[in-house]
Amino acid sequence: MTDNNAGRFIDSAKRVGANVVQMDSVQEAVKFISEQVKGITLVPETVLARQYELRSRLAEAGADVFSGRFRDAGQLPWAGVTFSNFCLADSGTVVLESTNEEVRLATTLPEVHFVLVDPKTILEDNLAAVEPMIALHKGSDPVFVAYITGPSRTADIERVLTIGCHGPRELHIIMVEGISSNVMEN
Amino acid sequence: MATDKTYKESVEAAIANPKLSEALHLFGDAYLAAREKAYEGLDFEAMRNDLAVIKDDVRIRRKELLAEFIKNAENAGSKVFIAKDTKEANDYVIKLAKEKGAKLIAKSKSMVSEEAHLNKALEKNGIRASETDLGEWIIQLAGQRPSHMVMPAIHMFKEEVAELFSKESGITLSPEIKTLVDHARKRLRKEYFDADIGLTGANFLVADTGGIGLVTNEGNARLCATLPNVHVVFAGTHKLVRTMEDAIKITRLLPRNATGQLLTSYITWIRGTVPSGDQQKEQHIILIDGGREALYESRACQDALRCIQCGACANVCPVYQTVGGHVFGSIYISAIGIILTAFYEGLDKAKEITRACIGCRSCVAVCPSKIDLEEIILHLRNEVTKEYGMGVIKNVAFKAVMKNRGLFHSMVRTASKLQLPVTHKDRTEGSQRIIRHLPLHFMDREFTEWRDLPAIAPKSFRQQFDTIPQKIVNPEYRVAFFVGCGADFVYPEVGVSLITVLNSLNVEVVFPKDQNCCGIPALYSGDTTTGVDLAKQSVEAFTEADPDYILCICPTCTMAVKRDFVDRLADHPQWSAKAMALSQKTMDASAFLENIMGASASIAKTASPENITYHDSCHLKRGSGVWKEPRALLDAAGHRLEEMKNSDRCCGFGGTYSFLSHPQIAKQITKDKVATIQATGVKTVATDCPGCMIMLKGAIGKTDPTIRCVHTMELLAEALDGNQK
Repeated sequence: MTDNNAGRFIDSAKRVGANVVQMDSVQEAVKFISEQVKGITLVPETVLARQYELRSRLAEAGADVFSGRFRDAGQLPWAGVTFSNFCLADSGTVVLESTNEEVRLATTLPEVHFVLVDPKTILEDNLAAVEPMIALHKGSDPVFVAYITGPSRTADIERVLTIGCHGPRELHIIMVEGISSNVMEN
Repeated sequence: MATDKTYKESVEAAIANPKLSEALHLFGDAYLAAREKAYEGLDFEAMRNDLAVIKDDVRIRRKELLAEFIKNAENAGSKVFIAKDTKEANDYVIKLAKEKGAKLIAKSKSMVSEEAHLNKALEKNGIRASETDLGEWIIQLAGQRPSHMVMPAIHMFKEEVAELFSKESGITLSPEIKTLVDHARKRLRKEYFDADIGLTGANFLVADTGGIGLVTNEGNARLCATLPNVHVVFAGTHKLVRTMEDAIKITRLLPRNATGQLLTSYITWIRGTVPSGDQQKEQHIILIDGGREALYESRACQDALRCIQCGACANVCPVYQTVGGHVFGSIYISAIGIILTAFYEGLDKAKEITRACIGCRSCVAVCPSKIDLEEIILHLRNEVTKEYGMGVIKNVAFKAVMKNRGLFHSMVRTASKLQLPVTHKDRTEGSQRIIRHLPLHFMDREFTEWRDLPAIAPKSFRQQFDTIPQKIVNPEYRVAFFVGCGADFVYPEVGVSLITVLNSLNVEVVFPKDQNCCGIPALYSGDTTTGVDLAKQSVEAFTEADPDYILCICPTCTMAVKRDFVDRLADHPQWSAKAMALSQKTMDASAFLENIMGASASIAKTASPENITYHDSCHLKRGSGVWKEPRALLDAAGHRLEEMKNSDRCCGFGGTYSFLSHPQIAKQITKDKVATIQATGVKTVATDCPGCMIMLKGAIGKTDPTIRCVHTMELLAEALDGNQK
């Protein structure tokens, strides 16, 4: 990625209603998140979540981290916290490999979604995503990949843009250098 | 006939309720602005050419690609079922639901499920389908069908939605959009958890991965595909693409063209049986033909299956903006809806709406798959005419009269005398040739209530031509003038002006007298045979004249001579070669003056500059790509151009559309145009089309007679005259 991509990504994401913040470390991100969460928080056990001990650090910082099956966390949990695989600068999109059902539930059910992004994984646009998308679909295993661009929205009533229809009402993108430049993991 | 009456009544009812039309106009304007911004820095033409190539290749290789998709999907654990029609598709879902003991299906948006009337079929079998897309849920509660492909409930207002939601929940909800959306969020969340099956559509079926792609904004499709243990994908076979790259390319066009978004909130790629709770999900992909194979096989219509269902053809359509999708469409609406209705529901179901297209080509200009919707609709109109006829008036007019040039022209001359008692002394400029009221008892009063009809000129252009002196000694070019009916019989002065302008640039004008009507009125009414005969007559006349160029002052005639003659005569080799030769020499007068003669550099400034506004004729801008040229010429003549809003929106003329098939809709479209002209405060509106002049002069005459409507050639000739004085 280039700094240019990062700048463009921030602008684009903000334009579609995401909140974008830049942090120096995962610990600082943990502090930022825990200060804001006000209810049940879903933190999927992914490669990066384990590597950064995200669950325990958030719990230590005071977040109500849910420890059971996510399907039992209620129909409207408060927050989900995930990492991303890569991002698209032109549209402000975060891309999450979501085959792990916990990732899907943590990004669809909650009111608020926090996503940690390594700026090195910001690609120029979705044409640049063709290669990693093909790589994610190698072989014949079941795969679920989610492109997320801003919070959930609708314009179905009188064409008035309204935020928070069925998905999260808020999307917070937290950029931290050096999390992982590997676009194949989150 | 009962259906005709119902259709006419539905048109009238829509027009009587302007609230919807007002909302659709606002939406249309906002859409155009958002779309333009979304494509900033991108080459839309290149992108849509690319997509057309992709989709055409998919059409040709569809059997092989479908097999590849099925193999890859099955390798990832999916079950794939090919349904030859929507009934088979419904039956599959019903059988599956019964096997699972399913009582509730949570559905996200699927247009093909509307086509299949799936919800009704499920209901009959004791299975409840819950629509979770907000717009779909609203219309499900209202017991209606979508009136727009992307925004199904675009025709409803928040008060109606509040009433529906209150009735369903037993709680009184205020008609505030945020409140209503919040209510839907909470209310429908329960459905995903309770549902035994989640059903989604698919925007893509990706052959080389075996996966599907879903393009959504609300997030309901992701919940439908995630929470229930069984996922049913309900999709038309035309959603097939070759590769992930193809699908991604479509994601660059679809949201931009649908809603002016760079991407929707969610694009979801799912392949196979992903984990679901403690087990693997069960995924059933139902691929529905339902008339698509027949459409793929139709040479004339097959491009329609390039459609990626963005809904743009409705957003820009003046007819849709006037009457809405419930009138102008069936399951699918607007331009693409006409075609899909004919193939998926039958020609009979489409026969009225094929005639409701005004032919302005706005849809063609914005289509991301480069479908020539107007051409396909014309073809279908022809099929409808073959099947159901075109009505007595048109039959006599086109078949008996127009084909016989002598009879046609002498009837027009007779008519010019018959109308004398009703022509009107104009209030402002003395005698003007307009008809204020029609005495013909069989003509509907609504023809002249809101507009003056043009009267036929006492002397047609063809009668005047020989008397016009042309003092050209060594002409730079010798051009042949294709006059067209509008300028020949109604506005011969435009032809005279053209000669003045061309002579001043040392160009000689010849007039092949055996030329006849371009044939478009007959063709647009579905009469191909007359169209072919008329083309032959004019091709013969112009080939004999052997000019350097052929000029028209009517853009519809230009399209006919330049494009349609070649197509129309394709089956007659000796004729089509001649038509091709003429085609290459044919253009609109403005295009010739600017692009061949460079006239804006040499034309003299008029002594009395005017503030003018310019109306782009549909066929000039979108048919020939000419819109800069007349502006450059008028500017060079010294006029100041004050642009009107939506200058390239149709004026409502549409030939026989405004006279015979849909005068009520035409009237509304014209009203919009006159309002935008008035809003400029300018007293002169220029255009390059006699058809637009008939419509605008007529409607302005009733609204504000101080505004004059003129052809660009008239203003240029005036400028030259002014200079000589």
